[in-house]
Amino acid sequence: MQMRYRWVTAISICVLLLCMAIPRPAAGGDSTKALSVIVDTIADRSDEAQAIAEYLRAVGVSAEVRVWEWSALKERILAGERQMYLTDWGSAYFDPFDLAVPKLKTGDRGNYSFYSNPRFDAALDTALAVRDHEARRRAYFEAQKILRPDAPWVFGYSLRETEAARADVLDWQPSMDSRMNLHDVGLKRGDTIVVGMAADGMLTLDPAAYRDRATETVIRNMFDGLVTRTVDGRIVPEIAESWSAVSDTEYIFRIRRGVKFHNGDALTADDVVFSFDRVIRDGAMGGRTSPRKGLLGPLAAVEKVDSHTIKVRLSSPFPVLLQAMVHVQIVPRDYLMRVGDDAFARKPVGCGPFRFVEGRLDDKVVMERFDGYYGGSPDLPPVGSARVTRAIFRMMPDPTVRVAALKTGEVHIIQTVPAHLASSLARDRNLQVKSAEGTRVYCIEMNCARPPFDDVRVRVAVNHAIDWDAILTAIYLGSATRLATAFLPSGFGYDAELAPYSYDPNKARALLAEAGYGGR
Amino acid sequence: MIRLSRLQVKVIERIAATIPLALAVALAAFVLMRAIPGDPVDIMMGEGASSSGEEVAALRAQLGLDEPIHRQLSSYLKRLFNGDLGYSITRSRPVAEMIREALPATIELAVYAILFALALGIPVGVVSALRHNTAFDRVSTAVSFIGISLPAFWLGIVGILVFSMTLRWLPTSGRIPYGLEPRHITGLLTLDALLTGNMPAFGSALRHICLPAVTLGLGVAAVIARITRSSMLDVLGSDFVLFARAKGVPERAVTIRHALRNAMIPTVTLVGLQFGSLLGGNMIVETIFGWPGLGRVVVDAIFARDYPVVQASVMVYALTFVMVNLITDLIYTVLDPKMALQ
Repeated sequence: MQMRYRWVTAISICVLLLCMAIPRPAAGGDSTKALSVIVDTIADRSDEAQAIAEYLRAVGVSAEVRVWEWSALKERILAGERQMYLTDWGSAYFDPFDLAVPKLKTGDRGNYSFYSNPRFDAALDTALAVRDHEARRRAYFEAQKILRPDAPWVFGYSLRETEAARADVLDWQPSMDSRMNLHDVGLKRGDTIVVGMAADGMLTLDPAAYRDRATETVIRNMFDGLVTRTVDGRIVPEIAESWSAVSDTEYIFRIRRGVKFHNGDALTADDVVFSFDRVIRDGAMGGRTSPRKGLLGPLAAVEKVDSHTIKVRLSSPFPVLLQAMVHVQIVPRDYLMRVGDDAFARKPVGCGPFRFVEGRLDDKVVMERFDGYYGGSPDLPPVGSARVTRAIFRMMPDPTVRVAALKTGEVHIIQTVPAHLASSLARDRNLQVKSAEGTRVYCIEMNCARPPFDDVRVRVAVNHAIDWDAILTAIYLGSATRLATAFLPSGFGYDAELAPYSYDPNKARALLAEAGYGGR
Repeated sequence: MIRLSRLQVKVIERIAATIPLALAVALAAFVLMRAIPGDPVDIMMGEGASSSGEEVAALRAQLGLDEPIHRQLSSYLKRLFNGDLGYSITRSRPVAEMIREALPATIELAVYAILFALALGIPVGVVSALRHNTAFDRVSTAVSFIGISLPAFWLGIVGILVFSMTLRWLPTSGRIPYGLEPRHITGLLTLDALLTGNMPAFGSALRHICLPAVTLGLGVAAVIARITRSSMLDVLGSDFVLFARAKGVPERAVTIRHALRNAMIPTVTLVGLQFGSLLGGNMIVETIFGWPGLGRVVVDAIFARDYPVVQASVMVYALTFVMVNLITDLIYTVLDPKMALQ
């Protein structure tokens, strides 16, 4: 008996294996196969991913959505195991230097789509090697023209950053770099302005020890840099009075006289040299290296020429140097060396319009007007001391609570208003809602190194298959801007003539069929 | 020689037993955090700006993250035995300082949530049991089921919309406005305000803690009401209550001195367990109300893979939980002296 059972089992296994080995005819005929993909996303964008999968199914692609925690997904993406993934990438320099370059140059650190095109790389290299604006712009235009038909991503959109304030807040304007310049802002009533931050907390009060935007938003009210930006991204002098390029790799900055730190020390070239050194030299922050080092690219050294002049030396040309300089805040050398790095982070001293009073990084940070302020950038009026006497930044991670606090008047300004609440706030006569151009690209990257997305026809087909306008209207209610490529309208060298891929499901089906993928 | 009572011996034993427990928790947190994908340096450096592979590698080496895991573990344990909880990777400050700063806010919130839950849950439970099967009982049963099922994030937001935005009775978030803080003694603002006799600060802190504490405590109140009701019913049906009644003890005394006292034992157990889950579950409530407590620190640290912070906070949670349960065990002995001898 037992023998016979064993035989039956063995034969069934053989039959099963044979069945699996025989190729089954594909669903649309002999020459075509069905395309099936998994769309990976993080939880925040899962609604969007579901809509995208639906559009893909409509052109005969069998699509499933998988939701991940970002770090876990990134690891699998980098291992080359995933097919298509909803991702985003921010730019701090208003230049493709920190967006298209890391995301799409062959082998660069953010190139999760494994895209590689030597012509595209060459165009970017040109834009990064020269200082001449026009030549750089031309090179970036060319790069966009190469990138669009290659379609390594399903090109997506950028989101406008919407903020809101009470109506009695004067001269308030959100800026693209999420700087909240409270120096220029006034209040009709009262002398304390309270800001509701869209953050769990700040990382530090030391301007050399962070890499996130929330920290920078707060810190830049206490610290100034050599240069700063207008709300629309133009570079203007701040502590520096003027600058000139000696060569492609050498710049001279003249420093304003009469600038004082909050402790009364006068700001000189020594403080500027020390501040830059602290960021770029290994172990310069009490044995640790600043996480901001990479932001300064090829900046090799900052040297003192005289008490109010410094020279910046680069190891290679760096056309976005001025954009990068905005993000280096000047600290007082003598004070910092006397108290040490940890004590400095607890009681920071800068030369900005407000001086630190007290604060807890995950609760609130309180500052008071610095009456000895030199006035700030002459290009950003009003020049002089801040208009309000006190500024408080409160950490309010929940968007609904931020909105409630604004409506009740507990706070005067709030960051990041969700799209679905913006219109109701705009109708409230006690409030004002404003937005700034987004600096983050949202897209779907495709793994160009592996089938099916190693075939450009499939990638273009997917670009045509998705009705972004419908998705963006439904989810972001008009606060999103469609993008033709990976370049941002807020960034340098953006080609506004280039049109985004049109929604054309028939073309998508045709391209898929051409690539050998049949519909259902 | 000092002679210790059996109870004292028991307490000392229990405290001594927390040491291996803390160690085990530290070990588990250490291993689990490293088992999940993602790298702290990678996350800290973000994506927006340039950071080369070498830069990331250098930072990782500086933090000792490139060493083999057993080496990392041994140096972590060595520091731990010296009382050093390490340095936060993303916030570059001592972890002990972060916890010292955040823990009082979390404890204050949990204590108020429990006080609210007891104040609401016990009377409702007792009355439901006494008026068993009446309309009050049915309504309270239904309401407590709703209370158990409502998620804190919904309750918190609705609370803010109703009590802060519409009625304007309570502030939306935060612990206390700038300028009103009492002098720092314990870190529990209401207690510090009372200790320093600062009544405006006490009032403001109390108003701020109302909504978060109710949000956090409502679910617990519902559970307490359910448990109190059923254990009360049990006790009311037992022989000694019948005997007390037969002896002619007034009904009030029967209810409070005989029945309630005995019925409280399951409730106390439950409160001990719930206090632990409140410490853990307050992460959502802390985020909604911008409450600067440990829950938010931990969530942030987990997402940032800030190993030292997660390890230390998990240990703090575990130790708090053990201590609270020790306290509940001691309360048993007060409620029922027989238990001290067992």
